[in-house]
Amino acid sequence: MTELAEGPTHVGVRRSLAYWNQEFQRIHSPILRYGFAAVSVAIALGVAFALHYYQFRDVELPVLTVAIAFTTWYAGAGPSVLAVLLSSACFDYFFTEPFYSLSISTRDLPYFLIFVAWAAIVASFSAVRRRIENSLRQTRDNLQVEVEQRRHREGEIRKLNQELGKRAAELEASNRELESFAYSVSHDLRAPLRHMVGYSELLQRQASSLLDEKSQRFIRTILDSAKRMGNLIDDLLAFSRIGRAETRETEVDLEQLVKEVVAEIGHDMKSRDIAWKIGALPVCYGDRSMLKLVVVNLVSNAAKFTRMRRPAEIEIGCVDGNKEEVEVFVRDNGAGFDMQYVNKLFGVFQRLHLPEQFEGTGIGLATVQRIIHRHGGTVRGEGAVDQGATFYFSLPKAQDAAERRATAP
Amino acid sequence: MTTLGRILIVEDDPNDVELTLTALTDYNLANEVVVTRDGQQALDYLYCRGEFHARPNENPAVILLDLKLPKIDGLEVLQQVKADGHLKMIPVVVLTSSHEEKDKMRSYNFGVNAYVVKPVDFHEFVNAVKELGVFWAVINEPPPGSVRKPT
Repeated sequence: MTELAEGPTHVGVRRSLAYWNQEFQRIHSPILRYGFAAVSVAIALGVAFALHYYQFRDVELPVLTVAIAFTTWYAGAGPSVLAVLLSSACFDYFFTEPFYSLSISTRDLPYFLIFVAWAAIVASFSAVRRRIENSLRQTRDNLQVEVEQRRHREGEIRKLNQELGKRAAELEASNRELESFAYSVSHDLRAPLRHMVGYSELLQRQASSLLDEKSQRFIRTILDSAKRMGNLIDDLLAFSRIGRAETRETEVDLEQLVKEVVAEIGHDMKSRDIAWKIGALPVCYGDRSMLKLVVVNLVSNAAKFTRMRRPAEIEIGCVDGNKEEVEVFVRDNGAGFDMQYVNKLFGVFQRLHLPEQFEGTGIGLATVQRIIHRHGGTVRGEGAVDQGATFYFSLPKAQDAAERRATAP
Repeated sequence: MTTLGRILIVEDDPNDVELTLTALTDYNLANEVVVTRDGQQALDYLYCRGEFHARPNENPAVILLDLKLPKIDGLEVLQQVKADGHLKMIPVVVLTSSHEEKDKMRSYNFGVNAYVVKPVDFHEFVNAVKELGVFWAVINEPPPGSVRKPT
């Protein structure tokens, strides 16, 4: 508002000056430019005569100089030379003795030379200024182009940002939808299952004496299936929670974590003959409870798939402790798998064995992969049928922990 | 002498009600159980309103509260109970299917006394309900003003 109020006349004058400057700069025709020189000198001469008439003496030189300067300014170097020559001639003809003759008296020769020198200096100054002006104008034009481009780019960036914001909002909405989906699964899908199990067990309890062996097996199958579905739902919910839960990252001593898990799982497998081998493991950076889930999944898988081995060998170690990443492996001598199906290992509900052979919901390795990906790491598996399997996961090393160890004596 | 407090069950699902009552009957804990089927009815009972205007004066020894309820949900009931000077002393146990961290957080924020996820396995469910009943209605000393009846 203030700009509009104070601006118009000021800006208008500046605009029109700039306009005329530009108009003159645009004179390219040689006839016009040299004509401009002749006319300028003629006007200067007229002014000089007029001043002479009113008894002003010795003004012809400055007036002619002004004409030369104007010519240089607006018409360039060539016309300025013409203007200097014309002015010198006129000065010699009209203003130095003998008047109205092109000859020069020795007395006026110094004046004449001084005039020519002066005119040359003015002309060259003007030429220099003109050159500078030209390069400034060029720079300004370039700047203007750049400003234009930048404005264009800014507009594009703004558009992209808006789009990004829209995307983020959409993503958030679909995330919320997913969350409420998981929520109702958790609430509503489990209830009927609980009833199936509950009433089947009540039936089993109350009518077992009336039912034959076959009917009792039917009830047991209903119960087993319902329980399995309950486990599937629980696993799936836990899996979806991993994607949504916030990670609380700290330094995690992997070796301690692995020993803890092995102690827990080993305790449940007391009757089994398992040779555990735990190598040195570094400290890494991540969410301890999530990483524990990774180790639990991999180690209990190893224990499960070596069930038929006497002894079962399970080794947990580190591939190379010197890189920025830690790569941990869990190796067993169990059932293994065909490398042909390696790409199915980490899929949700993907199983490579029959349920009668090895129980499970097929979500353990998917959970492992999801957790490791959330930590910015990678997972892979190697194996051969009946030759055992090795699972690797990588994690970023704890930076300051590594530094502390490096500087320690 | 063993005394038994009255248990208020707030549960919309008839099957869950039946299973819970079966579990409580198994352990002779079902003689003083009141069942309400939604949040509105539960609050009516607690405030002696409507159909419950003539209920015995003593408050229940424990409320077993489901979270997903018609009309007024469990969290709202919990919030109202724990915000009321006369009712906030009644122990409230959330008994729900929800494992969700969000539900646990909000329940504890509102001052729930215990949070129990209904197990899918019936034996575990019966055990959980039995232990809840024994602990809250028998072992735990309820706040003054709750019903205590010799068994």
